[in-house]
Amino acid sequence: MSPWRIFYRVPWHVLILATLLVVVGALALYSASEGSWQPYAGRHAVRGAIGVGLVCCMAFIDLKLLHRMSYFLLASAIVVLAVLLFVGSGPNVSRWVTISGVSFQPSEPTKIAVILALARYFDNQPQDRMQSLVIYFPALIMIIVPFMLVMKQPDLGTALMLLMGGLSVVFAAGLPWRYVCGAVVAIFAALPLLWFQLHGYQKSRVITFLYPETDVLGAGYQITQSKIALGSGGLFGKGFLMGSQSQLNYLPEKQTDFVFTMIGEEFGLVGNLFILLVYLTLSMSILRISYKVQSRFSQLACVGIGMMLFFYVFVNVAMVSGLLPVVGAPLPLISYGGTSMLTVFIGFGIVTSALVHDRLED
Amino acid sequence: MKRGKEKDLRRIMSRRGFVLAGMSIMLTSFLGARLYYLQVSQSSRYQRLSDRNQFDIRVLSPARGRLFDYKMRLVAGNAESFELRITPLYAKDLVKTLNLLATVIELSEGRKRMVIDIASKLPSFREITIRDNLSQRELARLAVRSALLPGVSFGKSLRRIYPQGALTGHVTGYVSPITRREIDLDASLGILPTIGTGKTGLEYTYERSLRGLPGREKIEVNATGRPIKVLNDVASKSGHDIQLSIDIGVQLHATERLRRGRWKTVELGSDFVQAELAENAEIQAHLAVGDDMVLRDGKGRLVPAESGAAVVMDIHTGEIISLISAPMFDPNLFTGRLLTRDWRRLTNHPRRPLLNRVTSGLYAPGSTFKMVVGLAALEAGIISEDTQFHCKGDRVLGNATFHCWRKGGHGIMNVISALEQSCDVYFYEIALKTGIQRIRDMAVRLGLGLATGINLPDEKSGIIPSHEWKLRTKGTVWTPGETLVAGIGQGYVLTTPIQLAVMTARIANGKKAIVPSLLSQANENKLNFLPLNISSTALSVIRRGMLKVMHGAFGTAKKYKLSKEYGGMAGKTGTVQVRRISMAQREKGIIKNIDRPWEERDHALFVAYAPIENPRYAISIVVEHGGSGSSTAAPIARDILAKIIAERGLI
Repeated sequence: MSPWRIFYRVPWHVLILATLLVVVGALALYSASEGSWQPYAGRHAVRGAIGVGLVCCMAFIDLKLLHRMSYFLLASAIVVLAVLLFVGSGPNVSRWVTISGVSFQPSEPTKIAVILALARYFDNQPQDRMQSLVIYFPALIMIIVPFMLVMKQPDLGTALMLLMGGLSVVFAAGLPWRYVCGAVVAIFAALPLLWFQLHGYQKSRVITFLYPETDVLGAGYQITQSKIALGSGGLFGKGFLMGSQSQLNYLPEKQTDFVFTMIGEEFGLVGNLFILLVYLTLSMSILRISYKVQSRFSQLACVGIGMMLFFYVFVNVAMVSGLLPVVGAPLPLISYGGTSMLTVFIGFGIVTSALVHDRLED
Repeated sequence: MKRGKEKDLRRIMSRRGFVLAGMSIMLTSFLGARLYYLQVSQSSRYQRLSDRNQFDIRVLSPARGRLFDYKMRLVAGNAESFELRITPLYAKDLVKTLNLLATVIELSEGRKRMVIDIASKLPSFREITIRDNLSQRELARLAVRSALLPGVSFGKSLRRIYPQGALTGHVTGYVSPITRREIDLDASLGILPTIGTGKTGLEYTYERSLRGLPGREKIEVNATGRPIKVLNDVASKSGHDIQLSIDIGVQLHATERLRRGRWKTVELGSDFVQAELAENAEIQAHLAVGDDMVLRDGKGRLVPAESGAAVVMDIHTGEIISLISAPMFDPNLFTGRLLTRDWRRLTNHPRRPLLNRVTSGLYAPGSTFKMVVGLAALEAGIISEDTQFHCKGDRVLGNATFHCWRKGGHGIMNVISALEQSCDVYFYEIALKTGIQRIRDMAVRLGLGLATGINLPDEKSGIIPSHEWKLRTKGTVWTPGETLVAGIGQGYVLTTPIQLAVMTARIANGKKAIVPSLLSQANENKLNFLPLNISSTALSVIRRGMLKVMHGAFGTAKKYKLSKEYGGMAGKTGTVQVRRISMAQREKGIIKNIDRPWEERDHALFVAYAPIENPRYAISIVVEHGGSGSSTAAPIARDILAKIIAERGLI
């Protein structure tokens, strides 16, 4: 296969939209450090460039390789997560693993591993068995085990996204509607059980979410300040580098989880809607690619990755605007943080690979 | 078949893909709606909250107006002092930290509770003042423990100081922290809880003018409360400075002179004196309040400094050159938190140092009242310069006998010689003939019996009795015997030292009813005093009598005359009994003052004006239980006047 044909088939619009978001992210981080490329913006831009390069490289990888490795990837991800629980990176926190000086959050790529494993699992299932509930149990275990492990870390945000990404693959694979309805009921029924699984700080976050005014200066501080920042931004914002809430450090975590708030304060509703629209377009483009590709594995992987990206954005924006508890979820490609960006770019790489190699098979 | 099945699966997936896409669009719209609600519908509310975050309004305390003496020497000023602040955000446990602080510095329970209360209302990154006016010792103690006190920091504030200390304590009064009651009366004080208000003295009288206007500073602060920049500020407006008529040099000399009285000061340094002092509980009490003047009296005993009052004023402008009330207090004790120990010492002091004797000390004027009686009689035409009465040593009225101070009597007296020798019988006679109403009328015209209007608070008006007064207060009719006693300034008559000074000043001035003031009167012509309306012939007779007191062959104070180079002076002595002398005591011979307990000795009074030609200064002296007016009070007045005239020269 000539490189030119590959080049021709790369979904450039996805890469262009991703690059746009990285640029927005770099500008936002430039503002977050009070008008400086240090320490975030510069590195963010470099990482973005590396990510785009990674996607181009992955265009040359045959998706069959990933198909073959998918179970292995999930198994190793689960092992790493399990080991991490016992040798954590800090007291009660075991999100990070450091390999030769580079810190890394294994829970992030686990999302991809879950999606790939599920795609392969359903790829192998014959059509006539899809109506039976039994075949969905192994799939659920593939989701629940890493979900529980990530939740124990504890990282509620990533765990939720992993769950929702996995469930969208199961849904797309054709889980009968009666089970879908049953699952929704079951989830609501399980909420009280889930409550007892939560850590103290997670519980307080949920309580604070439900009643933010009870603790304006404590746990409710982040939500309150974030809403103030968003609201005071108004329609057009206070202007680049002019967000008082962000620039004066009222806004916590403005370079990571609350970067959307900062953009909202400085660019207003217009800026926020623009970003939401870019993300939506990106997700829809990836979903559309799932219609173009032929193999069931590719289709399901694309749906999973598209929905994962969407849930990333949804959880983050819902969180910073006070619709969800503060669970700790970055805004992909804009928030500062290497692992989440890498995960998203790997996802794009898989989509690219699927598009490039799926067609070439015919 | 397989192919068909695959197509089937594909169809399901396509449908599901649409469902997921539809859900994504729906949820994104939902987010959009939420953002619209926050950023458009609720925007103004959040804008307000954002401003409240961003800006901190700080009230800038104005510098209090300063007080200067007549020669622009500082009498009351402001000094920077350290205050202790806490930022609850950094103080891990506010209550614990405050409790720890209370063991290191003085911190009342009430203040602790107040800080906790404020902390619960403000964002945790805002600084709260815990205490001001930290002493050097407290600063040192805090510095050592700073590691144990997270979130505790120091700041600077202004504190009132009185460089002259006790010397001008009764003039300046003092500033002390605002009380709850003052805030209730004037809510504007509430925004400046750290600055004080004047409680007594000139600080009280001129509170409004001295206080100034607070400024406002809008500061942009970051989330940790650190100021980023000052946005707009209204500078505070300092209070007005005031120049006083008081002359510190004279004040210092006069204070020392009054308190020494007729005795000698003791050098406290010697071991012998220290041993003697250790046994003397009375003097120990005086030393405890910082009064370090100890005297040795005529019998060789150690006694505390005299107490009493001295006031000197300009007879043309009413300006008070010196105002002394002894014992004194140091107003600096009050500017911060008054220590309970100091407060107890001041209030339990047997001689009440907080009382301003010049304006609030009530004394029978004694013989210094004889000018009033003489003027009343002269003006009413009851006597003339030459009217004579015979003094045989006592005067019988009904079945009571009223004695003259001189046992054998003075013989034939006219009004001038009666003043010169302070003959009681002569004034009994003319008082009886003049009547209390006319005496009262003259006394009021000379400034007695009502507040003089000096710019100090709590001035007493004293008592000049009348028929009507007696009926109102005692419920009985006035008797001629009471007129007779009033004729020599005893009985019901009570005056303050400032009233006696005003009386003397008006006699010396002769034209205007001058009013005393502690402010420097820059423009003499602007002063609008009411006319005195007392016959100048009568006044000149009385002045000649006062001159004879000093310069006559038999003058009661002839030993203490002011030498010619200073222009001489005219005055009148007064020795006021504080105990009635019984018949039996009189028969046995009156016990000398020095042999009586201090509380039973006579008050020594003296009033005078100087120089004789073109008089300028009037003085009144009261030495409580000081013995006789001539031997104790007159030399004090002479020395003070000599000092003033030596400094300012004869005009």
